[in-house]
Amino acid sequence: MAWQRPSCVVQAMQLLRLQPLRSSASPLSPTHTQFLLRSQKANSRGYATGTSSDSSVQVVPEATPAAPAIDFDQFPYRPARIVPASPSYFSGSPKFIDHLLRLENLLAENERLPKTSPMHVPRKAWLKLAQFRDFVGEPVPTKKYKSLIKILQRINRIRPEIIPDYANNIINEYVRPGNPYGVKPAPPTLDEMGRARGRGKRKTSSAVVYLVEGEGEVLVNGKTLSEAFPREHDRESVVWPLSCTERLDKYNVWATVKGGGTTGQAESITLALARALLVHEPGLKQALRKAGTVTVDARRVERKKPGHVKARKKPAWVKR
Amino acid sequence: MASAFCRSCLSRLPRASLLPPPTVPRTTTTATAAAATAGFHTSAAHYANPTKKSNSLDSGPKYRQAKSAKMKRKKPVERTRPPPIGERKALRNRIVLGNPNALEPTDMQNISVENMGDPRVRGSVVGLPVSMLEQLRSVHAFKKSQGWGLFRRPATFMRKEALEMGRLFEKISGEEQGKVVKKVITGKVGSGKSVFLTQAMAMGFLKNWVVFTVPETQELVNAHTGYAPLDDANPGLYVQNQATSQLLQRTFKANEKVLSGLKVSQEHPALKSLVKPGMTLAQLTGLGIKDQAVAWPIFQALWAELTSTSAPRPPVLVTVDGLSHWMQNSKYRTADFKPIHAHDLVFVRHFLSLLKPGVNGNSTLPNGGLLLYATSGSNSPRIYSFDVALKQLEATTSGINPKSPEFPQVDAYQSPDPRVIEAFTAPQPTSAKEGKLELQPLSGLTPEDTVGYMEFWAKSGLIRQYMNFRWVSQLWTKSSGGIIGELHRLAGRLRVPQRT
Amino acid sequence: MVFILGVNFPERNLVKKSLETFFGIGHNTSSRLLSRFYINPTCKVGELANKQVLDITAALSDMKIENDLRRQNLDDIKRLKETGAYRGRRHALGLPVRGQRTRTQIKTAVKLNRMERRL
Repeated sequence: MAWQRPSCVVQAMQLLRLQPLRSSASPLSPTHTQFLLRSQKANSRGYATGTSSDSSVQVVPEATPAAPAIDFDQFPYRPARIVPASPSYFSGSPKFIDHLLRLENLLAENERLPKTSPMHVPRKAWLKLAQFRDFVGEPVPTKKYKSLIKILQRINRIRPEIIPDYANNIINEYVRPGNPYGVKPAPPTLDEMGRARGRGKRKTSSAVVYLVEGEGEVLVNGKTLSEAFPREHDRESVVWPLSCTERLDKYNVWATVKGGGTTGQAESITLALARALLVHEPGLKQALRKAGTVTVDARRVERKKPGHVKARKKPAWVKR
Repeated sequence: MASAFCRSCLSRLPRASLLPPPTVPRTTTTATAAAATAGFHTSAAHYANPTKKSNSLDSGPKYRQAKSAKMKRKKPVERTRPPPIGERKALRNRIVLGNPNALEPTDMQNISVENMGDPRVRGSVVGLPVSMLEQLRSVHAFKKSQGWGLFRRPATFMRKEALEMGRLFEKISGEEQGKVVKKVITGKVGSGKSVFLTQAMAMGFLKNWVVFTVPETQELVNAHTGYAPLDDANPGLYVQNQATSQLLQRTFKANEKVLSGLKVSQEHPALKSLVKPGMTLAQLTGLGIKDQAVAWPIFQALWAELTSTSAPRPPVLVTVDGLSHWMQNSKYRTADFKPIHAHDLVFVRHFLSLLKPGVNGNSTLPNGGLLLYATSGSNSPRIYSFDVALKQLEATTSGINPKSPEFPQVDAYQSPDPRVIEAFTAPQPTSAKEGKLELQPLSGLTPEDTVGYMEFWAKSGLIRQYMNFRWVSQLWTKSSGGIIGELHRLAGRLRVPQRT
Repeated sequence: MVFILGVNFPERNLVKKSLETFFGIGHNTSSRLLSRFYINPTCKVGELANKQVLDITAALSDMKIENDLRRQNLDDIKRLKETGAYRGRRHALGLPVRGQRTRTQIKTAVKLNRMERRL
């Protein structure tokens, strides 16, 4: 009906205002207008359920009975469209968003629970991006995957003894099958000949060192130290893990090294030697760390970029 | 109106500057007035004639036209006279044998006949007697890179091999007279091969042997001395008179005392006019020094005299340093421009033939002696045949049968020089007193020897810190197992942080 | 000073370099000459024996060097011109003879190749 809309009411009002101008010059009394409005309003409520709190509705003429209440359970008609099961059906990646919403809700429910310190968080191998895409069945962008993993990690930080089982079950769905962190490599040991093996890398060279108890001989690729490294500083850095721990006359070193230049080769042997020495004497770790031989120097040469002279250097500015 | 004061120095400008402004074409009278009164002031620049606009057509580069680049003539450089011939080389080769700032170790012994085989001096440094230095210098026993200038006076370290050699000297001079020992000395760079030869020379001088040395093998093959075909009877052989004469000179200077006590005992048909009976060997040698043309026959005569058994003769020590230069073609050319193999030079041929055993039951050195031929670690061409020959020699020295499969063989894909291989494959000597050619490798010092050597450094006052075992053991490792040349390089520099 | 083929050489000069001062003797010829008379390449003029000087002089006088060689060279060029050969024409025009490009870099030909060629 046209009366339902407020604009219609305004139109009707205007009609009423104009009518006396057309029929009679005298203005309408206010009471008359009120009644007219009331009756119109009552007429307009043809299918009202009768539960309205509006007092004005109470004044209903006896002649028009109220329609029966609609039973939604037995709706006589089928819905006009098929309603999708998921509310995110019409988004770009509904399944992913379902997962995201589920985890967000889970986090919201359990956000108040106490967290463990970062050291004691149970280590979990989340699905990798490719695996996650398979799992979801949608091409998930990396960034969204990362945000999801962040939520997972946050949930995982809840104390293991407090975390509800259902939450644990949910986040375990996102863990890679066959727990990779479960199998820890056995700590390196001496082999049956009493050798410790260590590997090290620096720049582009990589070294393997076999360390045995001995009297301080060093062979690098079958050559003596002075043949392999003419520069004294390199020789120094090769035997540095032994000399800084005063073990130089207690071990023999047999190293193979390949790739890179002299500095890289020498320092890759340093790292490999330190690791091999830790197999013999794990207690030296602190001393070696202080000497700077435990930490891996992961720096590599930065690649050259197009438009640059070197990695970062730009060509000089020329006017023309 | 323009101010009457100069803006830069606030001094009153001359009246003339306030006269007509610069844009007005000036008359000669105002110009002269300005010049007369302007004085120091920079404002006078306003009145300078306007610079002429350069014609752009003239100033541009001229193409299609001959243009001579006028070079400024260089000032004649004042040149001092170059130093006299040979002086620069002498300066380059000058060897300093002492350092007055170093301390003399108080308990250092001199090497002597008594202690040269004494096991008690093992691991200590013994000095070379000052009286012998001139002799050693004349046989070029010292080399520049050996670092003699670091210590108070020349001294050498008595390692195990040196002691064994000392005992050998004692034996050959004493109970086992006439024994001949032939050794090729190998080892890594800086392992002390040349100094080992120096020690041998010192021992030879102590024992009054005759010492022949070839300090630089390279000089004989790099075509820096004259050469000539030997004679018509031996085509393809070449003699180097100048080099032979120098050898005689070295021998003469170093062994004058011994040689002047020996008389010529044989006839020398080739030198009939020169050699007189009753001449001493020193005089005989002097003939070859005086006249280079007869140097080679004189050397042969001298050698024949020293190896004759008709008169008592001292044993002979022959040292050659840097053998590998002799194992390839020399830089000399034949008349038809073919390279001459080093073994075709009679000088080289003579010294290499000594490695072979004597024929018909004779010894190469019937009066006994020692042949020490060292390889060089630094100045040595890589020659495959020589490497193989040394490996084979090493195998025979350690008792491997040449027919056994372990015996090192020539690679089938290499073409070795048969003359080189042949030079080192000596058959069993026929003479009982003659030893077979053997290989003596020199390696690094043992850790205990290193301590002894570094004590000498400490006593000479050359170490910057207290010597302790930790320092020595580090030094030993860093010098790749006591290579003495590396020890020498590192010892002055290596510092070990002291524990606090 | 040592006379070799009428030229005086200071004693400190190398024999090899001294020989190479003659027109027509280069590195190859001089080193072959030296080896023919058993003279080592680092030999100085002053170190030569008299006989070696005479030998070298005799060998040099047999060889076609200096003016003889120049004359022969000029004769050859002249012959090319006279027979009307292309090469002769190029010589006369002052252009490269052996098929080089002439767009650039022909200074040597411009400098040397001319009607009255001089060596």
